[in-house]
Amino acid sequence: MSWRIGVDIGGTFIDFCVLDDATQQMHTLKVLTTPDEPGREVMEGVALLQARHGMAPAAVTAFVHGTTVGINTVIQRKGAALALLTNAGFEDVIEMARLRMPEMYSLFCARPEQLIPRDRIFGVAGRVLADGREAEPLDAAAVRAAARQARARGAEGIIISFLHSYRNAAQEEAAEAVIRAAEPGLFVFRASGIWPVIREYERTTTAILNGYVHPRVDRYLDNLGQVLAAQGITAAPMITKSNGGVMGLAEGRTSCVGMLLSGTASGVMGAAFLARQAGLGQVLTLDIGGTSADVALIIDGQPQFGTGEMIGDFPLHVPSVSVTSIGDGGGSIASVDGFGMLRVGPESAGSTPGPACYGRGGTRATITDAMAVLGFLGHAPLAYRSVTMDRAKAEAVVGALARRLGRGLQETAEAIIQVSISSMFAEVNKLVARHGVDARDFTLLPFGGAGPMMGCLLARELGMARVMIPRRPGVVSALGGLIADVKNDFVRTLFIDLVPEAMPALAAALAELRARATRWLRDEQGFTGEAAEIVSAEMRYRGQSFEIEVPLEAERVMAGDTAALHAAFDRRHAGIYDFADPAAPVQLVNLRLVILGRTPPPVFPAQARVAGTPAPQGEVTAFLDGAARAMPLYWRDDLRHGHRFAGPAIVAQEDTTLCIPPGFDAEVDAHGHLHLTAA
Amino acid sequence: MDKVTLQVFANHARAAAENMAYTLYRTAHSTFVKETEDFTVQLVGPDGGVFAVPMDFGATWYPGISYGQAIGLIGDYAPGDIGFTNDPYSGYLATHAPDVHMWKPIFHEGRLICFACGHIHNTDMGGAVPASLSRTLTEIHQEGIRFPPMKLMREGVLDEDLLRVMLMNVRKPEQNLGDLKAFIGALNTGERKVRAMIAKFGAEGFLAGIQGVQDHAEQQAREILRSIPDGRYVFSDYADEDSAGGQPCRLALALTIAGDRAVLDFTGSDPQLTSSLNVPTGGNPHHTLLLVGVYYVLYTLNPRIMLNIGLTRPFTCIAPEGTVVNPVFPAAVGMRSLTCARLRSLIFGAFSLAMPERMPAAPAGTSSIMNIMTTDNRTRRSVLAAINPVVGGGGGMPHRDGTNGSGADGAYLKNTPIEITETEVPIQMLRYGLLPDSGGAGRMRGGLATVMEFKVFAPNSRVTARNRDRCRFRPWGTLGGQPGQPSDFILNPGTARAVVLGNADLVTMNPGDVLHIHSPGGGGRGSPLERDPALVARDVTRGYVSPASARADYGVVLREGAAGSWQVDEAATAAERAARPAAAHPAHFALGPERDAFEQVWDSAAYDALTAILAALPVHWRFFVKHRLFAMRQEAPGLGVAEAYAALVAETPGLAA
Repeated sequence: MSWRIGVDIGGTFIDFCVLDDATQQMHTLKVLTTPDEPGREVMEGVALLQARHGMAPAAVTAFVHGTTVGINTVIQRKGAALALLTNAGFEDVIEMARLRMPEMYSLFCARPEQLIPRDRIFGVAGRVLADGREAEPLDAAAVRAAARQARARGAEGIIISFLHSYRNAAQEEAAEAVIRAAEPGLFVFRASGIWPVIREYERTTTAILNGYVHPRVDRYLDNLGQVLAAQGITAAPMITKSNGGVMGLAEGRTSCVGMLLSGTASGVMGAAFLARQAGLGQVLTLDIGGTSADVALIIDGQPQFGTGEMIGDFPLHVPSVSVTSIGDGGGSIASVDGFGMLRVGPESAGSTPGPACYGRGGTRATITDAMAVLGFLGHAPLAYRSVTMDRAKAEAVVGALARRLGRGLQETAEAIIQVSISSMFAEVNKLVARHGVDARDFTLLPFGGAGPMMGCLLARELGMARVMIPRRPGVVSALGGLIADVKNDFVRTLFIDLVPEAMPALAAALAELRARATRWLRDEQGFTGEAAEIVSAEMRYRGQSFEIEVPLEAERVMAGDTAALHAAFDRRHAGIYDFADPAAPVQLVNLRLVILGRTPPPVFPAQARVAGTPAPQGEVTAFLDGAARAMPLYWRDDLRHGHRFAGPAIVAQEDTTLCIPPGFDAEVDAHGHLHLTAA
Repeated sequence: MDKVTLQVFANHARAAAENMAYTLYRTAHSTFVKETEDFTVQLVGPDGGVFAVPMDFGATWYPGISYGQAIGLIGDYAPGDIGFTNDPYSGYLATHAPDVHMWKPIFHEGRLICFACGHIHNTDMGGAVPASLSRTLTEIHQEGIRFPPMKLMREGVLDEDLLRVMLMNVRKPEQNLGDLKAFIGALNTGERKVRAMIAKFGAEGFLAGIQGVQDHAEQQAREILRSIPDGRYVFSDYADEDSAGGQPCRLALALTIAGDRAVLDFTGSDPQLTSSLNVPTGGNPHHTLLLVGVYYVLYTLNPRIMLNIGLTRPFTCIAPEGTVVNPVFPAAVGMRSLTCARLRSLIFGAFSLAMPERMPAAPAGTSSIMNIMTTDNRTRRSVLAAINPVVGGGGGMPHRDGTNGSGADGAYLKNTPIEITETEVPIQMLRYGLLPDSGGAGRMRGGLATVMEFKVFAPNSRVTARNRDRCRFRPWGTLGGQPGQPSDFILNPGTARAVVLGNADLVTMNPGDVLHIHSPGGGGRGSPLERDPALVARDVTRGYVSPASARADYGVVLREGAAGSWQVDEAATAAERAARPAAAHPAHFALGPERDAFEQVWDSAAYDALTAILAALPVHWRFFVKHRLFAMRQEAPGLGVAEAYAALVAETPGLAA
C-alpha cells in the first residue's frame, strides 16, 4: 500500500489530489482554508483522507505541496524589511528599473513603491568590469558601516547586488563574509547566488523578491514540516516550483523565488499531463478562479518556460512556466459607466464577499451572477456543498444594471458575459501573437472553479474548434505537483561570440554546470532515480536587443561544433520570427542547464467503453445567444467512456459547472475527460 | 451599433493593432525601434481616420493621425497594394524624413473596408548628416531622400526599382531593408486580423464599428470638455534655442473652451526657423502633432477613453502659415521632436490654467537620446551604439509627487542595462540614477532628474545627445510650487578641463574624459510650505532632498536622528514657516528666474509687436528679422520693438520692399 498526496492551497480552498498506488484510484478533497492557523487545513485534510479512504500516514510515499504564501507576501506587501548593498553611483537601480512605465498615455502614470526604500539602499566603493576584472577593490569598511546602518534602520536582511557579479562574484562573496561576521543577526542573499545572469535590474529585483518572502516562507515551511510529522507522515515533503518541478522543503526555505509561482505553474504541469493522457499536443490552458484567469500554452506537449513573469508589481527573472494572468475571474464585477457603457472588472468581489448569488454579503453583479441569471448555475450544490446558490439575489443585482442599460434582465446577463469574453479574447490574442502560433490549431483546456463555465464561450470567440474539460477541473494544480519532476535550473552568463576560439570556454562552462547540477540532484536532494538534463543557450544575432532560448545538444557543445550551434540558432530564429540570417555573427549570452529527476507518471486505468448518450437528470432552460433554450442537465458522475451528446447542455459536478453552447458535440474519453468539438 | 457590440468590436480592434505592433517590434532592425520604441501602428477607416491603436507597444503620438490626405494622393487601390511616403510636405502625414509611413488597403468582396498602417523611424534616410537629423540643417533637401505618397507594392509585387533608389541613398541600407520587411509583415498581420473581424462582424458591422468607436471617443472627449470651465486660457513656453546657439523659440497658445468644443490658437508662436526645429502640420486644424498633449490630458482625466481620431473632432487648431508650427516648404523639420516636447508642455500649461485642481505641474519636458561612436582598443573596431535616454521626472500631481527619473509624456522610453552597455561598448559608466534636489519644491514635489556619467577610453569618441533643451527655461511649477532644476551637459565636471556644453548636441571626447549629463527635474505643485513635514523628512532620509533645501525651500527644520534618519523639529519648523507667510495670491505658474528675466525684456506686448511685424513679412525674412531684433534689443536695453524694427528697416536693403 502506498499513497501519494498532491495539495494546492488557494485563496478559499485547499485542494487535495490523492493517488492510491495499489488501486490506481484518484481521490479528491476540498477543505476551506484557515488563514489564521496555517497548517490546520492540512491536518484536517489528512485526517479526512484517513477516515474516508483508509489512508495510513505511514504509507504516504510522497507529499507534494503548492502554495501561494510567497506570491501573497509580495502582493499584500507583508514581506521582510530589507536593505540593498550595491555599487556607489548606482543606488537607484531598482527605482530607475527599465524606465518605461505602464499606462504610458497618462500624466499620472507611476511606478510601484519599491520593496526596499531608498534610505536602506547603500552604495559602496568597489567595481568589477564587464570582463570580470576588478577595477576598484571593495571597501570592506564601508560594507561594515552599511550593514550596521541597515540594521539600525530596521532591516532584517540584506541583499548584495554588484555590477557584473554574474561574471565575477568575488566582491559579492567578500561583502557577504564581512556582513555575516559584523552583523550575524541579518540574513544575507547575494544576487549572484540566486540567478547569476547579465542585466542588473532584473538580477537585483529577483534577489530582492527572494529575500522579501524568505522569512514568511521559511516559517511556513518549517511549520508545515512539523504538522506533517505530527500526523505521522514520514515521506519528505516536497514543494512545487515556479519552473514546474519540485524541490525539498529545506531548499524552499532559502530558494524562495523558486516557489513564487508554485501553484500556477503546477496547474499548467497538471494540464499538460492530462493533455498528454488524451493525446493532445497543442493546448491552451485556461485556469479561471474567483479573481483572475491564467492562460498558458502547451506546444508539442510541452509547457512553455520564460523569465520575467510578474509577481505583483515586479518581474521575476528565474525560469518559470509561462503563465499570463488576463484579469477576469468568476468574481469580476460588472458596472455601467456614465456613457452607458458596460464594463466588467478589473474590480473583483473575490471570495469575500463573493458573487451576490453566494449570499455572503456580495451586493454587486459579477460574472458568476450573470451565469446564474442565464440559468447555468444553481442546478447542483456548488463547491462541494460549501456554497448555496441564491438566484434571486443574482437577479436583483443584474436587474439593477439592466435598468440602467434599458435592456432585459437576461440580455444584460448575456452582455456581461460577452464583454468579459471579448476582453479575455484581446488578452489571449496577445499571448498567442507572442508565441507566433494560431489559436485555431489548439485545444482549449479550461479548469479551476470557473474555467469550465466560460471555456466554450471563449473558445468560440477565438475560433477554436476543440475544448477538453478534464474529469476533475478543480484539482488540476494539485495533480500537477504529483506528476512533477525534481527539477532545477542553472545558468552561466558568457556573452561570447560563437566562434571556434570561444568554444573551450563554452565547454568548460557546461562541464561546470553539469557538475553543479549533479551535486544538487544527487547530494542535496538525495534523488536516486532516473535523471535527465536539458541544455540550452540564450542567443542572438549581434546587434539585436533580445535573446531567444535555443535548445542545444550537449555533445555539440562539448565538441565545440560552432556550425551546428549556429544552425540550431538559425532554425529557432526562423521558427519564431519567420526569417534567419545564416551569414550573420551570433552571440551566446547565457548558457543554461536544466536537471530533472524523473517522477514516474501515474497510470490510470481506462474505463470500459459504453455506447449511446448519457441519461440526463432533467431538462432546464437557460438563456444563450439571445434566446431561452431548453437543454439537458447531466451529472458529471453519470458520464461514461464513449458517451456522446450535443450542446446546448449543462453538466454539473461537485466542483464546477460546464456550460456547453449549441454547436458543440461532446464525447467522453477513457479517463472521463470530456472532449467538445465545434460542429 | 449597440453599446455591447461596440465594446466587443473595440476589444477586437485593439487586439488586431497589438498584434501588428508586436510583429513589428520583434522583427525590426532599427535601433530607434528596439531601444526607444519609435514606431506606431494604426488601423484606419476608408477615410484615413484612426479607429484603433495598440496600448502596449510603440510611441504615443498618433492615435489621432489622419492618413486621408496621403491616401488620396494615389488612387486606384487594389488588393495587395501598399502605399508609402516619408515626405513631410506631401499630405502632411510623415513628420520628418526618417519616418516612413506605410498603408495597406483591405478589401472585402471588392469593397474597401479599411487600411492597416503605421510608421517606423529608420536609422538613416541619407542627406547631409548620419542619421539624417541635426539642428544645423536649414532645408528639407539636406535631410535625406524623400518619397511622395506612392505604391511600394502593387497587387503584392514589390517595386524593386523604387527600392533600389531608396537603398542607394541611405547609409545603412541593410537596416532599412530589414525594417521594410518587418513592416510589411506587420501590415499583413493586421490584414489577417481584420479579415477575422469581418468574418465575425460582417462588412457592414465592421464599417459601423469604425464609426461607432470614433463617435464614442468623440463623445468621451466632449464629455471631458464639458467638465472644464469655459474660458480663454493663454500660455506660452520656450525652447532654449531656435537653432544651434540661437535665440529662444517661443510657442504660444490661446486655448478657448466653449461647452464641448475647444480651439487651440497657436498665433504668436515663433516664425518658421532656419534650423530643423520646425513642426510640419500644413495648417491642418486637427493635425496630430498639435494634439499629442491633448491626448495625454484626455487620457489622464479618463483612462477609459478610446484612443482614436474621434478624440480630435471637438478640437480646432489654428497654426498660422510660416510659423514654427506650420512651416512652408522647404523648411527643415528633422528635429521637430524637440519642439513637439515643448508643444506638449504648452498644452499642459493651458489646461492647468483651465482646471488647476486636476492637472499636474510641468514634467521635465525633454528626453535626451544619447548615442556614442567610439573605438574598442582591443579589437580596434569602431562601435556605434545607443546609450540610455536621459529622461526627467514628472510634474507634481494633484494627489502625489511627480515620478522620479521618467514619467508623464516621457514614460514610454526604455533604458539599456548598464551591464549590456559596458559589455558592448568600451566605456565605463560611473553613475546612473536620480539627482538630489532637482525636483521642483512643492506640496507635491516634482520628480527628480536623471543623472548619468561615463568615461571613455579611445581618442575621438563622439557622443550625440538629441533633443537637448531646458538648460535655461525650467519646467514650471504651479499653484505655488517651484520649477524643476534645469538640465545640464558637462565634459569633465569638477576638473580644470571642465567644459559646460549646455544645449550642445555633439561632443568629442578623448581617453579618460568623463561626460556628465542630467535632465531637468519636474515642476512642483502647491506651496512647499504646505508640504507635510514628515514627507520632507522622508525625502531627506532617502537622499532625494538635502537638509539645506528642506529648510530653505520647505521651511522644514530637521534633526538628524539615529542611524542617519531625519526627524522633524516641530517647534523650529512651525516658527520657520510662520516667519514666511504664503503669498495671498500666488502666481499660477513659477517659471524660474531665467524666464522671468527674459520676459522683463520680451514681455507679451513686445511679442505681440514682434508677431505683428513678422506675420506681415514674407516668410524668408522672418527668422532673419527676429534674430536681428533680438540682437538689437540686447545691445540697447530699453529699445522698443517698433523702434528697433524701424532702425532695422532703415539699415537693411531689401527689407522695406
